[in-house]
Amino acid sequence: MFRYIAKRLLAGVITIWFIATATFFAMHAVPGDPLMNDRAVSDEVRRNLEARYGLDKPLGEQYIIFISNMLRGDFGISFTQQNRRVNDIIREHFPVSAILGILAIIIAALGGILWGALTALYRNRLPDILIMLLVILGISVPGFVFAATGQLALVHVNAIFGVKVLPVAGWGTFSHMLMPALVLGLGTMALLTRLMRTSMIDVMGEDYIRTAHAKGLSKQRIFLRHQLRNAILPVVTVLGPQISAITTGGFVVEYVFAIPGLGRYFVQAVQQLDYTVIMGTTVFYGAFLVLMVILVDILYGFIDPRVRVSA
Amino acid sequence: MNYRAHDLKREDFAPLEKSQLDEVVARPSLSYWQDAWRRFKQNTRAIISMYILIALAVFTLGGPLLWTVDASKQNLNQTSQPPGLAKHALVVSAFERWVLPTDPSRPEYGDLPPEELANPEGLRAAEAPNTQSVRITWRPVAEAGGYNIYRHTRPPTSLQDLGLPLGSIETGNVHGYEDRLNLKQEDYFYSVVTTDGFDEAETYATLQLRPQLAITREHALEQGLSEDPRAGDTVTLAFYPLGTDYLGRDMLARLMEGARVSLFIGVIAPLAFVIFGVAYGGFSGYIGGTIDNILMRLADFVVALPFLLFMILFKIAFGIGPGESGVIPMLVALVLLSWPATARLVRGQVLQIREQGYIDAARLMGASNHYLIARHILPNTMGVVLVTFTFAVPMAIFAEAFLSFIGMGVAPPTPSWGSMCNEGVKTMLSHPHELILPAALISITVLAFNLFGDGLTEALDARMRGRE
Amino acid sequence: MTDSILSVRDLAVEFDTFGGVVKAVRNVSFDLTAGQTLAIVGESGCGKSVTVQSLMGLIPMPPGRITHGRALFKDQDLLSIGARGIRGHHMGMIFQDPMTSLNPTMRIGDQIAETLVVHKQYSRKHAQDEAVSLLARTHIPEPGRRANQYPFEFSGGMLQRAMIAQALACEPAILIADEPTTALDVTIQAQILELMQTLQQDNGMSIILITHDLAVVARMADQVAVMYAGEIVETGSVEDIFYQPAHPYNQGLQQAMTSNQQPDRVLSPIPGSPPDLFSPPKGCGYCKRCPHAMSVCAEHPPYLTAVDASSHQSRCWLHHELAPVHNNPVRRP
Repeated sequence: MFRYIAKRLLAGVITIWFIATATFFAMHAVPGDPLMNDRAVSDEVRRNLEARYGLDKPLGEQYIIFISNMLRGDFGISFTQQNRRVNDIIREHFPVSAILGILAIIIAALGGILWGALTALYRNRLPDILIMLLVILGISVPGFVFAATGQLALVHVNAIFGVKVLPVAGWGTFSHMLMPALVLGLGTMALLTRLMRTSMIDVMGEDYIRTAHAKGLSKQRIFLRHQLRNAILPVVTVLGPQISAITTGGFVVEYVFAIPGLGRYFVQAVQQLDYTVIMGTTVFYGAFLVLMVILVDILYGFIDPRVRVSA
Repeated sequence: MNYRAHDLKREDFAPLEKSQLDEVVARPSLSYWQDAWRRFKQNTRAIISMYILIALAVFTLGGPLLWTVDASKQNLNQTSQPPGLAKHALVVSAFERWVLPTDPSRPEYGDLPPEELANPEGLRAAEAPNTQSVRITWRPVAEAGGYNIYRHTRPPTSLQDLGLPLGSIETGNVHGYEDRLNLKQEDYFYSVVTTDGFDEAETYATLQLRPQLAITREHALEQGLSEDPRAGDTVTLAFYPLGTDYLGRDMLARLMEGARVSLFIGVIAPLAFVIFGVAYGGFSGYIGGTIDNILMRLADFVVALPFLLFMILFKIAFGIGPGESGVIPMLVALVLLSWPATARLVRGQVLQIREQGYIDAARLMGASNHYLIARHILPNTMGVVLVTFTFAVPMAIFAEAFLSFIGMGVAPPTPSWGSMCNEGVKTMLSHPHELILPAALISITVLAFNLFGDGLTEALDARMRGRE
Repeated sequence: MTDSILSVRDLAVEFDTFGGVVKAVRNVSFDLTAGQTLAIVGESGCGKSVTVQSLMGLIPMPPGRITHGRALFKDQDLLSIGARGIRGHHMGMIFQDPMTSLNPTMRIGDQIAETLVVHKQYSRKHAQDEAVSLLARTHIPEPGRRANQYPFEFSGGMLQRAMIAQALACEPAILIADEPTTALDVTIQAQILELMQTLQQDNGMSIILITHDLAVVARMADQVAVMYAGEIVETGSVEDIFYQPAHPYNQGLQQAMTSNQQPDRVLSPIPGSPPDLFSPPKGCGYCKRCPHAMSVCAEHPPYLTAVDASSHQSRCWLHHELAPVHNNPVRRP
């Protein structure tokens, strides 16, 4: 198990290094230079700025500085908000994104497992058909449409009741989080529901479920102790990639709901070509996602005895 | 022992001629693809999705031949129109400044404190209101120092309800106001409050108006709506069956052009990376050994990269020059990041097939490598590859839509469904059709491809063969 | 028979499929004597597994349907709804493939203990201890350590032992073994059969053994029922079935089997394949493959006829009084 974790972590570190390098060279491959967008500046100011951001040094040296700063956890200073450090931006805004994301993944996972199990039990009957219809819709509608529709719905609901049932945008209280987390989790929930349903149906046809029936166990006991656990296993394996999907989906939801999360800053930075912020947040997000995938795989190892014992 | 009741005779126990019992194997033999098609046809949802896909192809390719409106032409007379039939408009002469009615007999600034000022009386439209301009007038109020004019789409209930004024008049003897701000053919409530020049009185007067849709002579001539329009004529405005966007561009034409962009990316990118993945995975699996190992490490590595993050990065790195749509960079980025899944899948298939008995049998009979690959290995992976492709299309469409939505996709003015959603979400509350239409098209397309893929999976699944 | 512990009468099971209704089991009746082994033999798809699965309530409904019949165990009909308490408690079952028949994510000990907790209300601790001793009784080495392992850590033979331990946990009166050795190596097969015999002697239980392996039947069975196309075509003691086969199908089976008595005999397979159970033939199901088929066989289904004074019965028109005596393989003058 330790060997396995160590191997995965090493591969993860290499991936993160590649992400950092790719980000660095992608930024420097952009036609023109980062200061071009600014108002016409005098040569002297320009030289000062270049020196401030280290742009006057040769590319190789810049790269080494970038990587060594990165290793020390220093992502530099924002281009557009020149008195803010990228580290501060991340520290301040990532927790918001993280809370939103965690809430969304909890909603998605619980909902997906619940609905998936339900549809499998009611297979080909009305509840199954209805839920699967919604699921196929959920898989086919892009996340930003959910976000926009969710907001629109809130506006109308608030108008109908004449009171603020839930806030339409912004951040701060739990009521601010509900709708964004829900719309963020919907796509993943639909996907997990579908996966859970297939998995449940597969498990229900397994020989060991027949054995459980032959042991004279009650349906509830078979469902809880034999079917559910085995059916959840394949669902856990896709959780890693789904965390990635929810993180990037968060960019859009934060944008629509005006949530001061890191995702919105990232999109803003991308639109304003704020190079240091793009580099810093890309590397940060990349490292985060790579670690999440490894974490989910290790978690899977703990849930599935076949992996746990043999690894 | 009820059969003793039968009157069985000795003849019944004569030996039976075997030939009487020979049966014919009735099931016709079907090839893999024939069988798959037969099963696909039984799947109603898959068939419906297939028709939707055909309809989409017709909409994208044939649509522009029938609906020849220019997608980039702006019509600032009709911005953000909801879908509907063609509208008629009154032709009015070119705008001329309205000299506001003034009562020279009154002082410009009165002396009364605001709480003692009277309500403006006789509030009425000075001319028939139309969407080019609304002119209202009222009887001047004694000792007034000015007026604030408000506009609402529903009747105001109190002074606090008025909000911010549409405009102000800063002299008490001017008693008219002209509104030219983004007028629509709908009910407006104009409220006027007297002021002492700065502070408002405590009462207000309200007038309900409905401006008539109007177009100036010059615009009507320019758009060719009439040969010789005169003021007072009625002309039929340009027809926008699905309405217009915030710049007055025809939604139907833009959706068609957006479809070409979105579906081009959605179909060509998966096609390219699936082909590359098949070649890569097939080669890797067939060669095996160290090369296979190295190639698959590379694939694992690319898979580990966060997809959308790198799409954004690629888009920034490629940059978009002036006049470029940004479609090609997106295509390249999609292909560069998406091939490993197919490659892994095909490699697995090839490894599996390579071990099958029929491959050994063919090899024993002297089949060459080329023959084996072309005749046995590739055809047997085609099913999985086809299914991968159908599910890759929604993924690519989503990626395009996501990037365009956050402003990292195709560059304006090129429309794509994603970028149209991006523009639509800004006016979502007032003009929902600008978001709903492209979003619905994305959803329908992805839905159709998903259902089609499901149907294909079921139809091609060899385990289902002969189960019925 | 007074010592019959299980009495099945006129059992009929159908399945709805895409192609139509499959009549998998038709009018099956048999008795199981206490302490004895009844073997049900037949080729794949003849309905032998469906027969016992319907007794254990394992027929998936839908698409399955028990259309007719009774199965009395201690005056209780197993086919009625209230029989779940009997399953796993008074009747245990083991399956063909031990590799897939145990829950892969649950410890072996827990799976065995579960039966005891549910049926005998043992405490978890007590049930666990009992599970370990059950593993010991099925000759699993280091039972204490093994009980804490998962199925994938066991070999096939070990798993089948664990399955037997699980089935016998509540000391059932009947053990149903559905092809218990088919998936195992020959040497392991012998061990498992021996284990079953030992446990049968210790517990005094009855066994219903489903198999297509006549060698296993010869070794284990007291009574035998031969099934063909959803029906029992011949039933009798193991000696009757092997030494005085009465039904042409059983005769065919014997011809197809090696024998110690006649080592040089040429084996002859039965030509053709069983009938399509979507539309069972009007007459006898074996008619098309039978070398002795008569006109009546194609038109009228035969009935079980007593072959001699014992329990030996056969479902064949050749036993009819009108059937030709000349060249008749079943009627001894």
